[in-house]
Amino acid sequence: MSAIPLVSISRLTKHFGGLTAVQDLTFDLHPGEILALIGPNGAGKTTTFNLVAGVFAPGEGSIALGGERIDGLPVHAIAARGLMRTFQHNMPFAGMSLTDNILVGCHTRCSDSLFDILIGRRRVRRRETAARLRAAELIKFVGLQDRIDDDVSALSFGEGRLLELARALAGEPRVILLDEPAAGLTQPEMTRLGAIIRDIAARGVAVLLIEHDMHFLLPLAHRVVVLNFGRKIAEGTPEAIVRDRQVIEAYLGEAVGDLAMRPASA
Amino acid sequence: MRLLRDALIWFAAIAAASALAFWLGGYATDVYRKMLIWVALALSYNFLFGIAGQVAFSHFAFAGVGAYAIVIFAHQLGLPFGLAFILALALSAALAFVVALPSTRLEGFYLALATLAFSQLVLVVISEGGDLTGGTGGIANYRLPHVFDVTISGPWYTVVLVLLVASTLWMLRRLDRSAFGRACRAIRDNAVAAAAMGIDVRRIKVLAFTLTSTLAGLAGIAYAYIDNVINPPVFGLENIFLLLFMIIVGGAGSHIGAIIGAVFLYLAPFVLEPIVGHGFMVVFGVLVVLTILFQPSGLAGLVNRWPARRAT
Repeated sequence: MSAIPLVSISRLTKHFGGLTAVQDLTFDLHPGEILALIGPNGAGKTTTFNLVAGVFAPGEGSIALGGERIDGLPVHAIAARGLMRTFQHNMPFAGMSLTDNILVGCHTRCSDSLFDILIGRRRVRRRETAARLRAAELIKFVGLQDRIDDDVSALSFGEGRLLELARALAGEPRVILLDEPAAGLTQPEMTRLGAIIRDIAARGVAVLLIEHDMHFLLPLAHRVVVLNFGRKIAEGTPEAIVRDRQVIEAYLGEAVGDLAMRPASA
Repeated sequence: MRLLRDALIWFAAIAAASALAFWLGGYATDVYRKMLIWVALALSYNFLFGIAGQVAFSHFAFAGVGAYAIVIFAHQLGLPFGLAFILALALSAALAFVVALPSTRLEGFYLALATLAFSQLVLVVISEGGDLTGGTGGIANYRLPHVFDVTISGPWYTVVLVLLVASTLWMLRRLDRSAFGRACRAIRDNAVAAAAMGIDVRRIKVLAFTLTSTLAGLAGIAYAYIDNVINPPVFGLENIFLLLFMIIVGGAGSHIGAIIGAVFLYLAPFVLEPIVGHGFMVVFGVLVVLTILFQPSGLAGLVNRWPARRAT
């Protein structure tokens, strides 16, 4: 793991009216790292995601990506800087083919001017060919090659998840945010997803994920940040987190500490 | 090889559509020319409505801007035709851009209302424009001037319209198959997810609106020299709804569907009117409802299913 953080979140605070959703949150994310954000419902996990992705501007604090401040930038500008995400609920482009869905993820890599597209510049064609090759690779990478000609609305929930993952990877992100990627998946799907996430991180992409399923999460994450009522109550390796008194009281409960450390699919 | 085959298909289609112009009689030529204008408008409106998902009702207003602008610039003000043409196109584009900036912040119903209001505004301006626009009677008695000493008339003007349709189709298909077209469709399907993929939603919406409305302006310019008459009712609401029906019946989002829908609904009244009189609009209404309920991909969807059926 590199010593220089890729994403630096510092003293982040967000109020919604009288409610403080996130307060004074600070943590770093390194290239190749899988960092999990856990905590009870309403702890501020999804708000943190939305702040990092640019859906909301933070009230206070800063977010830096590769040394550059990104807080306050619009969503698309943050995505273009290499931060891609998936959503808690699948959001496919239902009227488009599977391949086109993934090609949309390449948008920032092949956004040429209308004029260049119309005159058929070689650069445009080269990027289009490269994007199509990449989309085909990604479809294989997530294992959807048998579904390539199917309507995306015909995909199962788990396959939809994989499509979203492939779509987010298509933009060659430096950071990827996964909002409850394992929710609603079957055990074999979860095992496959875990392997895919490890593979993504092994290629140097920083992975930040929200997850409730501790069986899935604890063997996967390198580091865990625990939120409660918008504040960070603990940060550390999964082994340390499951033994943390505060975390057990706020979130995990007594039994989970031992249970969770068993491998998920032994 | 595919490139050569595509070029041959385009060439054959343009040649056939042009050859028809020399064969048709006076009345049939008039019908054919107006059909070509409908097809050109349907193609650009399909991109805006079917591909970019913007429910805008300003398409005929922009055709009106183009038509009135060319006639006013070239004939009322007497500017050289080339200059008048560029100015008319530029005016359509500039106006489209100005309308797009606030309108594309709106969605669905509200975009429809805003563009409907703009259409009414254009109608009022051309109806009340005094001598410059000819008021409710419009402008007549002008003709297409010589361009570089060449007179384009008779079937050759129909060939110009064929080329207009062909170039509109070629442009829109090319854009549709690029990252721009995918961005348009992605925004239509889910704007939140599109933004998360790095798409600047507003920019793409403004581009799509401006581009397609400018193409409507271009079709309007071409329309102005079919009868050498322009008047306000053509650019009113009845036609914009007919255009919408064409797209829905043909198959929203499909270029071939836009062509089929425009040809079908434009020609249908010629068959229906002797039977049901003005009741053909009711028939259209029923057709639209049936399409939405039972065949959402329109006539184009039926065409696409044929080879699959034969294969089984």
